[in-house]
Amino acid sequence: MRNSRYLATLLGGAALLASAVASNAEGPYTIGVSNTVQGNGWREEMICAIKAQALASGEVDKLNIAHRNTDASGQLEDLRNLISAGVDAIVVNPADPAGIKAALEEATKAGIVVVAVDQTVTEPTAYIISNNQEEYAYLGAKWLFETIGGKGSVVYMRGAAGASADSDRDTGFKRALAEFPDVTVAHEVFTGWQQDQGKQQILDFISSGLPFDGIWTSGIDNVIVDALVESQTPLVPVVGADNAGFVGQLTSVEGLKGAAVTNPGSIGGAGVTLALQILNGKKPAEQTVLVNPQIWANTTDEGMAQLKAAADPSLSPEWPVSISIPDWTTYSKEQIVACKGPGE
Amino acid sequence: MMAFFRGKGWVTGLFVLLALLFVFTRVIQPNYGANDFGSLVRAVLPFAFAVAAQTVVVIAGGIDLSVASMMALTSVIAAAMMDGASEEFALLVVPFVLLVGFALGALNGILIVVTRVPDIVVTLAMLFVLQGAALLVLGAPGGSAAEWLKELVVGTVGMPGVPEAVTDWIPKGLVLLLVCLGVVWIPLRRSWLGLSIYAIGSNQLAAFRSGVPVARTRIVAYAIAGLFGAMGGLTLTMSTGIGAPIPGPYLLASVASVVLGGVVLGGGRGGLVGPIVAVFLLRLVRTDLTLLAIDPNVAAIVEGTIMVVVVMLGAFLAMRGRTQ
Repeated sequence: MRNSRYLATLLGGAALLASAVASNAEGPYTIGVSNTVQGNGWREEMICAIKAQALASGEVDKLNIAHRNTDASGQLEDLRNLISAGVDAIVVNPADPAGIKAALEEATKAGIVVVAVDQTVTEPTAYIISNNQEEYAYLGAKWLFETIGGKGSVVYMRGAAGASADSDRDTGFKRALAEFPDVTVAHEVFTGWQQDQGKQQILDFISSGLPFDGIWTSGIDNVIVDALVESQTPLVPVVGADNAGFVGQLTSVEGLKGAAVTNPGSIGGAGVTLALQILNGKKPAEQTVLVNPQIWANTTDEGMAQLKAAADPSLSPEWPVSISIPDWTTYSKEQIVACKGPGE
Repeated sequence: MMAFFRGKGWVTGLFVLLALLFVFTRVIQPNYGANDFGSLVRAVLPFAFAVAAQTVVVIAGGIDLSVASMMALTSVIAAAMMDGASEEFALLVVPFVLLVGFALGALNGILIVVTRVPDIVVTLAMLFVLQGAALLVLGAPGGSAAEWLKELVVGTVGMPGVPEAVTDWIPKGLVLLLVCLGVVWIPLRRSWLGLSIYAIGSNQLAAFRSGVPVARTRIVAYAIAGLFGAMGGLTLTMSTGIGAPIPGPYLLASVASVVLGGVVLGGGRGGLVGPIVAVFLLRLVRTDLTLLAIDPNVAAIVEGTIMVVVVMLGAFLAMRGRTQ
């Protein structure tokens, strides 16, 4: 009798322990973050959004952030380290959709909720919340080709060679290009999403003297406008992202026609929200949640109004102005700018 | 003390440091176990081969800046060839890719010997050439790897008669690493050729006057580096299941581990064990930084500082040993 009661207590204790290990049903949670591009304004905003949302949610007591410049193999290492650290959920911006599958699978097996943000992953157990990159490029390119009158040549300033967001955008760009047979690409370069590199590349091209009618950029935008202004080249239409610097230029630079396509870095905060929802037992209907971009062109009154409303000179010029996503983020502007996570 | 540091002291010191770091890891994360060790080994693999490549060249008195690009190129070649191909076909892909690495490494050496342009310039140029070639093979990450190849680094090695508690700590990746390095390095180290590599790194003129064919030895050293680079590229494809044309952070990491591993940058001194242990050390530091949730921007500073402090401490101890 006494023995069996002892056994029951022991079993009960073991079951409690097992459930705690398996699901960590109650908060506060520890969330792991893995990101492989460091020193880029968009990614920094993503990290700050993750920190701010973790803090604002009140359900996260610790963030474990692996944030450095590395490749898919390095991300496998970081993800496995996060598994070793025993986090409850991982928010990951994948270096490659397929290349990190093995570690994501291991994470799910260890009972960790995996949410990929910004770009997609092939691991079927992972949840994905992402900006629609193909649509991003298509919207901007279509606007550009229409604005130059459906014919002429454009400079195509891509992101990082080999990155999946870049290849998705390339698909969107080519889709728009196919709709305008009289538009040609005068010059195609990879900026590597680096400001200094992009500026040097456009200055090199301007000095070549070859004609061009428009510039499409993959988000390295304000330095391109700077280069045009500084070299006193006639201002051609420029497409960029909703980075604070570029949005400011669209509302202030005389004679500049341009359009900003939204690509919120705050998607990182949305990833935290999604992870917390899943941890609390509220799974989304679809494994993939896509956030569609908007285009703000300063050639229409409506677009100009949106740009003016969004312009925010207090932000770093490289930061996207869409610092929050309705329904997905709950932090204040002060919180994301402060860039402090729980316990900092 | 002096004799100790003149002998295998440096490597022993690294092993002790690594053991201490494992204890520390266990303290901060009591659940750190065999699985986590397996993860560490898989993270070590590409770095270890990059370091092996760099070590051979540095011992021969050179430096190879193209090692990361070499890995990217061989990785995409392997992934592109195996894409949609049968499992058996991969049996041909592996030796082919190793051959490509060996040949491109030899090309590095030939260019250096024939043109007499310094190593650093030739291999820097090759860095760009190979990087461009990798992008030609695969414009974006893609391709695939044979299942059996991926399995080579997953799980542990079972041995009859050995309890699982022991074999759990022998991940397949570790066996693969030791076998691949051993097959090349051990015969080389014991051969006349290996001795020649040390000789030309130590003093080229003296080696030449002693009848060592300097040019040929240099080419072979670079070719072996290319071979190790190709092995590294294959491990990238094995672990990720794809090929990525943009080189990873292996060049600087390889130089760092070579220095930390006790190989003299001027050439002629050091071995392979030290740099490999150094790779484990640096990867485990990275693990600990993640486990401790250190601010990622600070983490890089910590990694660099640890390296400098260890090398300085080693030099200091060696110096004290000499004056006693």
